[in-house]
This record gives sequence, structure tokens and C-alpha cells, in this order.
Amino acid sequence: MNQQWPVADLDPVRRLRVIAATTPGVIYAEQHIPAPFGEVWAVASDLENELPRIVADVRTFKITASAGERLQGRARSRLGLRARFDVVLRPGWCLMQNRFLIFGMAAVPEDGGTRFAGLGALRVPGASLLAPVNRLLLTHQLGHGAIDRLADRARSR
Amino acid sequence: MAPMAASPEIDPALVRAAQHGDRMAQGELMDALIPFLGRICGPIALQDGPDAVQEVLIAIFRNLGQLRDPAAIFGWARAIAVREAVRVARQAARATVGELADVPAPGDPQLAADVADVLGRLTPEHRAVLVLRDLDGLSEREAGALLAVPGGTVRSRLLRARRAFRKAWGQ
Repeated sequence: MNQQWPVADLDPVRRLRVIAATTPGVIYAEQHIPAPFGEVWAVASDLENELPRIVADVRTFKITASAGERLQGRARSRLGLRARFDVVLRPGWCLMQNRFLIFGMAAVPEDGGTRFAGLGALRVPGASLLAPVNRLLLTHQLGHGAIDRLADRARSR
Repeated sequence: MAPMAASPEIDPALVRAAQHGDRMAQGELMDALIPFLGRICGPIALQDGPDAVQEVLIAIFRNLGQLRDPAAIFGWARAIAVREAVRVARQAARATVGELADVPAPGDPQLAADVADVLGRLTPEHRAVLVLRDLDGLSEREAGALLAVPGGTVRSRLLRARRAFRKAWGQ
């Protein structure tokens, strides 16, 4: 009988909301994309091709190691700087961070389309005090309309 | 009712890392906490269970720095979960007042021995007592402390909740 008791779950977008609500100086956006989940996530999870399109300062991103859903990647900035990222990637969920940056994406099927969420935050001391500055920097990095552009690429596949 | 599974083991280093702002550790900690919280919030908040779990996790991670003993995280999370699940369920104003007369007679096809259906006829407070005592195996005193009510109130709520189930299943 115990099996019949209702058990609540938390989908990936709700999980990313929790990270957003508990991360100082975060920028977070969520919207409905009128394309099937499978097509949207096929684009979003293609980190090597997609990350340079989403994050303004990233010129290249290479996966350097993988073990199940845990990956490591190396980003190279337009100025030539390198940064190693730890990544967790699974269907509907991507969370990555290095010493200075946190980046996340989440998606769930919704009304024949997809609810997609994106998150960015700087990991610096006093991030809550510097929240307005951080948001400005992150908005420049992630750019306006990043989710719209990702949606366009999903639809064009 | 079968007692709830024991709290899973958690690596203290994971909790410490999350306390220091490591979001990968926070993600991993969420993976470990969600099944545990879902078993508490589901029966109390019913259709609003996901809202309750989300609110619980926000409360947990906003206050994680206050947790001194990482090994105590599940007990600490349980207290937050019960409080938030009752609050969310009450706020949703979907809970019907727990009148046992509302419980359908045995054999009612609408009931179909659906646990969620019977739970939905109880108040969030009655459901919370049922979860803590019958599913989680807490004592009256422990349940009363979590719910901030005397042991006698826990006992009377539990009796009413159990009677609702007995009626529903015709036992």
C-alpha cells in the first residue's frame, strides 16, 4: 500500500528555479519554446557548438573528459584565456561551474512545446553586494534573446 | 502502513561544499534530498506537492549555513518540509475540512482505494500527522515538536486520520 502514497517530484526547470532563488547576483530567464522537447534539448545539450553562441566571451568549448553524466570541459575566451568547467549534463538539465562562473540550463515538455530556463551567475566574494554589477556583466556575456536564438536553431533543425 | 525508508547516507563533504557556494554540490544534494522530501510533501500538499518541494529546497539552501552538523541534514530538512508543505497546502486553499462524514462509504467506485483521494478529504494538518507518525515512524512527542502542537493533539489528529482510512477501506 505504501507504493500508492502520492510522492512529489521536482522537474529540471523547478530545480533550476531553486538554484536561481538561492544564488546571489544571478540572472535567470524562463520561457516557452514552441518546439518539441527533444529538438530543443538536442540543440541545448550540444555544448561544444552551442555554448559559444550563448556566451558572448566564449570562443570555443571542448569536452575534455566524461564519465556518465559528469563531464569536464575547457572554454577558451575571445582573448585567449582558458577556463576548466565541471559539468553535469542529463536530459533536461545542464549545470556547470568553474571558479568564477555558474551556468545552467533546464527544459521540460510543456503543452506540445518546451519550457526552457537559463541561469548565469558569477562566483565572486560579496556577490550579493555586487549583484547589480554582476547582472550587468552577465547580461553582456549571455546577451539578450539567447533563448530566442536557441529556439530558432531548434526549429530550423 | 509500512514505515518510510531510512534517511539516505549523505557525504558530509557534500553538505560543506554546498554551504560554501558550490552549486554542483548543491545540485547533487538536491538529487539526494528530492526523493526524501517528495515522500513528505506529496501526501501533505497533494497536487501542490511540487510547489511544496520547491519552497522547501529554497528554504533549505537559503539557511544551509546555519546547519552545523551535516549528518543532521535529513532531520532538519524534515522539519522544514512538514512546515512548508502544510503552509503551501493551506495557501492553495484546496484542502477540504477534515470531516469524516465526507469519506465515501466502502465500495464507492469513486474512491477505488485511492490513497490520494482519502488524503484529500483530510486537512493538511491531519495529513502531516499521518505522514510523521505512520509513514516516517516518529513518536507522538517528536511529531508534536515538529508541528508545534501538544502530544494530545497529535494523538487525536492521528486517530481521526486513521479512522478515515479504515472507513474508506471498509476495515
